[in-house]
Amino acid sequence: MKIDWKKIGIKQLAAFISVKLRERGIDAILVGGACVSIYTKNRYLSFDLDFVTHATLKDVAPVLAEVGFKRESSRHFTRLDCPFFIEFVAPPAAIGREPLKSENKLKTKLGTIILLTPTDSVKDRLAAFYHWNDPQALEQATMVAEAQEIDLREVKRWSKKEGHAEKYQEFLIRLRRKR
Amino acid sequence: MLEGLFGNIIIEKIFFMLYVYGEGYPLGLAKTFGEPVNRIQQQLRRLENAGIVVSRLVGRVRIYTFNPRYPFLQELKALVTKAYKFLPEKEKEAYYRKRTRPRRTGKPL
Repeated sequence: MKIDWKKIGIKQLAAFISVKLRERGIDAILVGGACVSIYTKNRYLSFDLDFVTHATLKDVAPVLAEVGFKRESSRHFTRLDCPFFIEFVAPPAAIGREPLKSENKLKTKLGTIILLTPTDSVKDRLAAFYHWNDPQALEQATMVAEAQEIDLREVKRWSKKEGHAEKYQEFLIRLRRKR
Repeated sequence: MLEGLFGNIIIEKIFFMLYVYGEGYPLGLAKTFGEPVNRIQQQLRRLENAGIVVSRLVGRVRIYTFNPRYPFLQELKALVTKAYKFLPEKEKEAYYRKRTRPRRTGKPL
C-alpha cells in the first residue's frame, strides 16, 4: 500500500505503525494526546504519537527504520515528510498510580490500534491537569468526555485516589457546562 | 548508600536533592556536588527518559522535579526518605541545608 506521508492522518499512522510493530511481535499501546485526537475526531490535533511498549528500543528502531522513521533522540522517531513524530514512552502503561486495567481496540482500514479506553484517556489528561495545573489538558479531558461515552464514576473514584477530588469537581462543572 | 541499587552515586545525589528541595537544575547540582555538569545532565536525561523525573524551561534554565505521574513515585520517595535519614549529619549539612527562602533583589549578603 502506498502511503501519502504528507497527508496521512494520526489515526491512519497509529494503525500503520501498530500493525508494523505487531508483525514483529511487538505489542504497543497508544496513549496521550493521540488518543484525544482520535476520540474527538481531531477537534484537538496532536502531532505526537506516544506508544508504550515493554520491548526495547533496540527492537523497535529497525521496525520504524523500515518505514522511514529515524531515531532522533533517545525515544523519538521522525520522518522528514511526515508531520507527526513518534515517541516510545517508558513503561509501564499507567494512569497515575494505577496500572491500566483494560484497553480499547479500534479497527481501521489500515489495521487495528490498541489504545487507551475513552475513560482512561480522560483520566490520562486529567492527570496532567491535576499534577501540573495544565489548562489544555483539562480542555482535552472535557473534549473526550463530550465526544465519547465515559464512566464518570470510575473517573471520580480514580481522582479521589490520586488525591484530587476537588479538581475532579472542576472538571465535572466544566463538562456539565459544555453538555 | 543506594549507589549499588541505582548504578551510580549521581542518581542517589539527584534523588536526595529533589527529595529535600523539590526541584533542581543541572548547574546547581553540579556546583553543589562538585561534579561535571555534563555528568549530571546525562543522568537527569536518563531519569527523564525513564519517566522518573520531568523538566520544564524557566527562562534558560531547565528545572527538574520528580514526575508526579510516575507510577512508583510513592514507593521511590519512601525509599529515598528512609535512605536520607541514614545520611551522616555532615553530609546533610554540606549538601542539603541550603537557604531556600527568597532574597530581595539588591539586598547585600
